Amino acid sequence: MTNDINQVQMLVMSILQIVLRVPITFAGALALALLAIPDLWWLLLAMIVVIGALGAFMTVKMGGYFGKIQHYIDEVNTIARENMMGVRVVKSFNQENAQMAKFNHASGLMETLSIKIGYAFAVMVPGFFMIANVVVGVAVLLIGNQITSHPAYLAVISSFVGYVLQILYALMNAAFIATGATRAFVSLGRIGEVLRHAPSMLFPNRAPVLNLDGGIELRNVTFTYPGDDEPVLKNISFKVQPGEMLGIVGATGSGKSTLAQLLGRLFDPDTGAILVGGHDLRELNPRSIRKAVAVVLQRSTLFSGTIASNLRQVRPDATVADMEWAAKIAQAAEFIDQLPERFDAPVDERAANFSGGQKQRLSITRGLIGQPAVLVLDDATSALDARSEKRVQEALARDLGHMTTVIIAEKISSVMHADRILVMDHGRVVGNGTHAELAATNRVYQTILDSQRNTEEVG
Amino acid sequence: MQSDFQIARHYFGHYLKPYPWQLIISVLTVAIYCGAAVYTPILLGHAVTQLTTVLAEFRAHQTVVMAPFIRTAATMITINVVAGFADCATSAILGWVAGVSTSRMRSELFAKMQRIGVSYFDRTEDGDLLARFTSDLDNIFNAMNQVFVNSFYWFGSLIGVLIMMFSSNVMMGVVTIITTPLAVLVCWFVITHASRAVNEQQRAVGALNGYINEQITGQKVIITNGLQQPSIAGFTSRNATVLQAAQRGQIWAGMLMPVMSGLMLLNTAIVIFFGSWYVLQGNMALGTGLAVVAVFVQYAQQYYQPIIQLTSVYNIIQQAVTGARRVSEVFAQPDEVRSTDGKVIDGVHHGVKLTDVHFGYLPGVEILHGINIDAPRGHMVALVGPTGSGKTTVMNLLNRFYDVDTGSITIDGTDIRALELTSLRNNVGIVLQDPQLFSGTIRDNIRFGDPDAGDAAVINAAQQARIHDYIMTLPDGYDTLITDEQSVFSAGQKQLLSIARTILTDPPVLIMDEATSNVDTVTEAQLQAAMNAVTRGRTSFLIAHRLRTIVHADEIDVLRHGTIIERGTHAELMAANGFYAQLYRDQMPELATNA
Ligand SMILES: Nc1ncnc2c1ncn2[C@@H]1O[C@H](COP(=O)(O)OP(=O)(O)OP(=O)(O)O)[C@@H](O)[C@H]1O
Ligand SMILES: Nc1ncnc2c1ncn2[C@@H]1O[C@H](COP(=O)(O)OP(=O)(O)OP(=O)(O)O)[C@@H](O)[C@H]1O
Ligand SMILES: [Mg+2]
Ligand SMILES: [Mg+2]
Repeated sequence: MTNDINQVQMLVMSILQIVLRVPITFAGALALALLAIPDLWWLLLAMIVVIGALGAFMTVKMGGYFGKIQHYIDEVNTIARENMMGVRVVKSFNQENAQMAKFNHASGLMETLSIKIGYAFAVMVPGFFMIANVVVGVAVLLIGNQITSHPAYLAVISSFVGYVLQILYALMNAAFIATGATRAFVSLGRIGEVLRHAPSMLFPNRAPVLNLDGGIELRNVTFTYPGDDEPVLKNISFKVQPGEMLGIVGATGSGKSTLAQLLGRLFDPDTGAILVGGHDLRELNPRSIRKAVAVVLQRSTLFSGTIASNLRQVRPDATVADMEWAAKIAQAAEFIDQLPERFDAPVDERAANFSGGQKQRLSITRGLIGQPAVLVLDDATSALDARSEKRVQEALARDLGHMTTVIIAEKISSVMHADRILVMDHGRVVGNGTHAELAATNRVYQTILDSQRNTEEVG
Repeated sequence: MQSDFQIARHYFGHYLKPYPWQLIISVLTVAIYCGAAVYTPILLGHAVTQLTTVLAEFRAHQTVVMAPFIRTAATMITINVVAGFADCATSAILGWVAGVSTSRMRSELFAKMQRIGVSYFDRTEDGDLLARFTSDLDNIFNAMNQVFVNSFYWFGSLIGVLIMMFSSNVMMGVVTIITTPLAVLVCWFVITHASRAVNEQQRAVGALNGYINEQITGQKVIITNGLQQPSIAGFTSRNATVLQAAQRGQIWAGMLMPVMSGLMLLNTAIVIFFGSWYVLQGNMALGTGLAVVAVFVQYAQQYYQPIIQLTSVYNIIQQAVTGARRVSEVFAQPDEVRSTDGKVIDGVHHGVKLTDVHFGYLPGVEILHGINIDAPRGHMVALVGPTGSGKTTVMNLLNRFYDVDTGSITIDGTDIRALELTSLRNNVGIVLQDPQLFSGTIRDNIRFGDPDAGDAAVINAAQQARIHDYIMTLPDGYDTLITDEQSVFSAGQKQLLSIARTILTDPPVLIMDEATSNVDTVTEAQLQAAMNAVTRGRTSFLIAHRLRTIVHADEIDVLRHGTIIERGTHAELMAANGFYAQLYRDQMPELATNA
């Protein structure tokens, strides 16, 4: 991406040049050359046509090459990057050589094409010079042959040669800028691709920033991932009062995380509406949403820096006391206090220096630091032992009773105390009630429950 | 600390060594080209002189002798055609050398990356490492493409001008070059600042790339936490650093030409002043003397051009050297320790044993304080305990992602450090807590550990891992293209896929680190039946917070603060009514009573 932006920047610079310098040089030199030796107009014309045609041909050809090479560059970078992120997987499967082969293949394609581009330039630049120099030579020869009839030409030979070179430089600059432009257009297209992803979602940035309460309502929400045909969420409706705790359970892939992401407006539903605090998410200033809803995602991603820098990203004015408060509820204080630097302890790339459960508790701390009206925990305690998990829930209930919590979990024990539990199956809500109700009547819930009953009898 | 020069010499020497002929030929072609470039104006001069003669002859005698002129013009055309081809050859040869050797650098950098231990990647920012593949190698490539021709050409010009000056008048020659130290000093000063800014710019671009990379990975976190503003602010400030460095570089680089032009004027003035004084002293006849001064005014200007050009070439070199230094930094990292005459094992016959294992990631912070585990072949050992107690760390040691500080881990009595590393990892399969997928098809991801596996094996593994049915609902099935970030999988499905990936390699020692933490319990129960078949006859280590999944284990080790505090079967531990029993009851109190 930075590469793309650089390319575009260079294009803008060169456009300025093209607009200002090149045409003036070109026209000026051409006029002077014609004035100096009018007889040779056809030679100049021939030169301009040949160089122009060659330049145009190259530009077109390069356009294709640049698009392709950018693609290869991406591929090479992707492989390099995923081998950094997945270094443990690669090593544990002994796939270093296979990955090297994959990388070398992609890198080889890139090499071949970049050499090809190099060859094209190797022909183009010297080619232009050669044409111009031959034109100069031919011009000198022609002038010489008629020197007896046009003695005056003798005096202007040197300047004529100078003009021809000026014309050449102008044309060459134009050709370079054109090839550069094709490269930049490729980049511009890619930047555009990124920017185009957003516009399906419109954000009313001018709407007032509201302090919303924690009421949630979904009305007939259907959602399909971009590019899929089958909806992942089908006609979902439910309501949560402020301060309530909602549990969501369901099979892997039933759509729980998708629902959580919709609550944070990462996507908009295809049909239906999601309301928080009585307002449709699509009509709210995004800042109102961020203030009201905090989603702790299933895969915890922390940014390299320090613990405090991660928390202050959400709330820049967070004091140490605020951080202590949130960390305490999330049961993170326990290990943060063990670190000599406490909140200033470093967070490595991918938070590799924290254990799975520690990462999750840090993510929960980050979710809490802004004191949202709605907290969505998407399987955010899966790597916690039962004890820590229980303590998190107790602390939430004790200190944040007024906060609406949506808890997505695989373990029934994580949600059984909720005011209400939604049971999801293949993108639908197939049950909605308290633990007791569902345990008594709901088939899907009962199956899940059965799979989790304590196997005292086994032990 | 090696100097930049040493690093560059070593680095480029290494990569250019295979191409002596290409380099020699390009020296020749560059020489031809430079020769033609110098000779053409001279020929043009000849041509004009000859035409003057022709014209004079014509006026005097009405005779026209064109032959010498035509020869000159023809020579000029021929020379330029030849020079054009030579130039073309130079570019092609050097472009090829640059392309091929940069590609080799890229491959070797990647290969080196594969040899470095895990800890380096935990410490280093991906983006910064990635920048060495991109901008640093780009700078090296550009330099290889341009520096050679330019420096040769301008160095040749410099020598040419010097020869002409000194053959014409030694005294004046000395006067002309007398300001050179000043010019070089000024150049050096400006260029050091420019290249310092370039270094800074490269570092800033690396930081920016790293930042973008991380922000893209954490995109959802950013949006859900309302971090777009801080995220953009972070981008803006890093971008501003790049811009500042770039601008500073531009300013310094931009200063070079005006300053040098000023010096050139100064030098010209000195030449004129001294020349005139010299002539007026009566050292030369007035006419010749003034002609000499006039010629040297031109030389003074011709002499400065190469100096300016060479300093700007130096700039490009500087960037490439910085690139070479940054790439060399990666090469300076120690490789993973592999014993050279390591023992190759085929299967595990007796078992795995950890004896008094102590380990810490950072010096002075011990995480594991004397772990003893004995896992005979066929046994299933479960590791449970609070988060952060060191369970994953123990598993990291079994696979030698890290090595123990003291104590030992043995397989069939042999210390794993004495085993061939590949052989060890072939025998120890691990399903990691954080599954990572790779770009490619689903099939490629499942047969990641054994790229030659057939479709039947792939499907079988997927079926055992309970992910086959879902894959079949996808329009492209096993051929669906995925990357880690854009997979079509939910978190649980991703874990199942990573289990399938490990099942396929069929390892004698199997480690499952929270392998099903995001999988629903119904699927998990089905999976467990399959896994029981898979783990039969193997030594397996299981880490799970959902204690239900490990109640059948032959041995349960309870880890707390890096020490095993309880050990036994589920029944024994429940009977002992200690920490484990409490954990177990904590997990599902009411469900238990409901049962
Ligand atoms: N980015 C995506 N593009 C296309 N399909 C997706 C995408 N993310 C998820 N899916 C599909 O949508 C369905 C619902 O996924 P979701 O992540 O919501 O499941 P989940 O209930 O959270 O599962 P889990 O318990 O495993 O976390 C799954 O079938 C999944 O394969
Ligand atoms: N790469 C590392 N560098 C420094 N410290 C680390 C690193 N990896 C883990 N640690 C620390 O080592 C301790 C043990 O971590 P480990 O990942 O082994 O815990 P765990 O028992 O697997 O916990 P969880 O159940 O949460 O996954 C933790 O305090 C953690 O912060
Ligand atoms: Mg999910
Ligand atoms: Mg762990």
